[in-house]
Amino acid sequence: MITYVLKTLWRHRTRTLLTVSGAAVAMFVFCFVGSVQEGLNRLTTGEDADRSLIVFQENRFCPTSSRLPEDYAGKIKEVSGVRDVMPIQVWTNNCRASLDIVVFNGADPEQIRSSRPIELVEGSWDGFESQRDAAIVGRNVAQRRGLDAGDQFSIGEISVKVAGVFESSVPSEENLIYTSLAFLQYTRGLDAAGLVTQHEVTLAEGADPDRVASEIDAKLRTGAVATKTRRKGAFQASTLSDLVDLIGFAHWLGYACVGLVLSLVATTTVMSVQDRMKEYAVLQTIGVRPVRTMRLVLAESTLLCIVGGFSGTLFALALLWGGGFAIGAEGATIAFRPSIGLAVSGISISALVGVVAGVAPAVQAATVPIVDALRQA
Amino acid sequence: MALVELRGVSKSFQKGDETITPLDDVDLSIEQGEFVSLMGPSGTGKSTLLNLVSGIDRVDSGTIFVDGTEITELSRSKLADWRAANLGYIFQTHNLIPVLTAYENVELPTLLLKLSSTERRQRVELALEAVGLSDRAEHYPRQLSGGQEQRVGIARAIVSHPKVVVADEPTGSLDTETSEQIQVLLQRLNKELNITMLMVTHDAEAAEIASRRLLLQNGKFVEREKTVLVPEDQTPASGSVATQ
Repeated sequence: MITYVLKTLWRHRTRTLLTVSGAAVAMFVFCFVGSVQEGLNRLTTGEDADRSLIVFQENRFCPTSSRLPEDYAGKIKEVSGVRDVMPIQVWTNNCRASLDIVVFNGADPEQIRSSRPIELVEGSWDGFESQRDAAIVGRNVAQRRGLDAGDQFSIGEISVKVAGVFESSVPSEENLIYTSLAFLQYTRGLDAAGLVTQHEVTLAEGADPDRVASEIDAKLRTGAVATKTRRKGAFQASTLSDLVDLIGFAHWLGYACVGLVLSLVATTTVMSVQDRMKEYAVLQTIGVRPVRTMRLVLAESTLLCIVGGFSGTLFALALLWGGGFAIGAEGATIAFRPSIGLAVSGISISALVGVVAGVAPAVQAATVPIVDALRQA
Repeated sequence: MALVELRGVSKSFQKGDETITPLDDVDLSIEQGEFVSLMGPSGTGKSTLLNLVSGIDRVDSGTIFVDGTEITELSRSKLADWRAANLGYIFQTHNLIPVLTAYENVELPTLLLKLSSTERRQRVELALEAVGLSDRAEHYPRQLSGGQEQRVGIARAIVSHPKVVVADEPTGSLDTETSEQIQVLLQRLNKELNITMLMVTHDAEAAEIASRRLLLQNGKFVEREKTVLVPEDQTPASGSVATQ
């Protein structure tokens, strides 16, 4: 009977093609939006979101406006529960939300190498550590900007030599460019010497992040600049708060796409079934059970959805994989990263939508009044 | 018990405010191997009777037995199973599935039975051979003439080796020559394969090929004897056949 289903779809190939394309476009959008949502979730609830703290200048939001003394690192280290502190100078080409944000993080190369979940896929650590203006570039940035090890890369007043390209298990890391702290401080002018944007604190095993954060802020309250310390996940969510709202809204757009596929495939299948009521009556006269008739219709709608959904999902994942897209604001970035979970959910949702979309027309075909339908011209 | 047995079967329809009762307490028995033709004016319930015997319509009252099974008691699903195994239906307008080839159309009913692929193939080939269309197996309905389509329809009706084949005006949409070919084919299938047939027709000539001819009048059956055709210009306006 699958021959019948396939041939029926082929007979109406224009309709089939249009429906499959519609489903593909909708699932493409669903997966794209899903990848942004996943990127945000990974950023705010990832492994280090709760085990690292960010010390930022109080009441400041953009990296360009936060200026903390570098020597705060020593004082922060004295707080119990702190395992390590990394002073970071952040430079971004755009403090507002942007799809092509470039974020430099300047820190001690040794610390970068030991504390960041990154691995060089091109170039060498030695080149990075030995040259003052050397930088290692995240894979996404390299992809977007067409950078390879050995290239010279300039943006604004910063010009670096690409010493390597790295990949990371944390997708947002792949949107960063790391340089040495001294280099980035130097490029911001002499008044930036001894100042950093933030301190990243790695917590000791079992330390309570909220307690440590409060103690750090209390300890530095008497210093030159007051601080606000938060868990890394909370800090990033707060930094990206405008984007988080937007992404929350886009999430509904994803569901709307699923609804769109449902409506599209249901309409197509209803029309197709209504055109063929006599055919279903003939099939049942021959001896096809009503349940089997239902299955034929469900197979049609599910096939349309699966083929469309699979194509859309695959295309979205390929584009996400090759495009290295990211959105960022105020120095924090969200990577649009394809995942197996996204592929599975895209295809599963397509199949589910196909079944749901086919239920009403399937019931219609199964319960067709045979005699009346056979009388149709 | 006869192969097909109708006892006190009644069927009414509502047409606007009017209730039409084409079949009123009808009894009928058809023996195994019989070829019964059923004639009657339009609207007398010939097709309704055929649909009731096929189990695609429901009686208002009465019972229908086919080969000992009371089909009036069966659910829609069970009736489908029963039709797949016991009934062949020949439509007036062929009703082939347009996306399937002649072979696939004939194969359809066999897919509903528990048959091996070899047996299925053999049956389809035999059925197509029986209707003389082995060389058209891979043709689609749109590539066949009306007569060829009807022959595929007949092959589809006999391929599952049904107990009874019903035919609803099988020559109704065909020209005279093709119609005669189909009549000969039906007669041959009845005689050679001993298939029990119940055929509804408006065509007096087609009705003559049956071994038993019935006329449905005022909701009742009247047995008709062998008829002779009378030239049209010598017949009264009421009909073109005379009973001998």
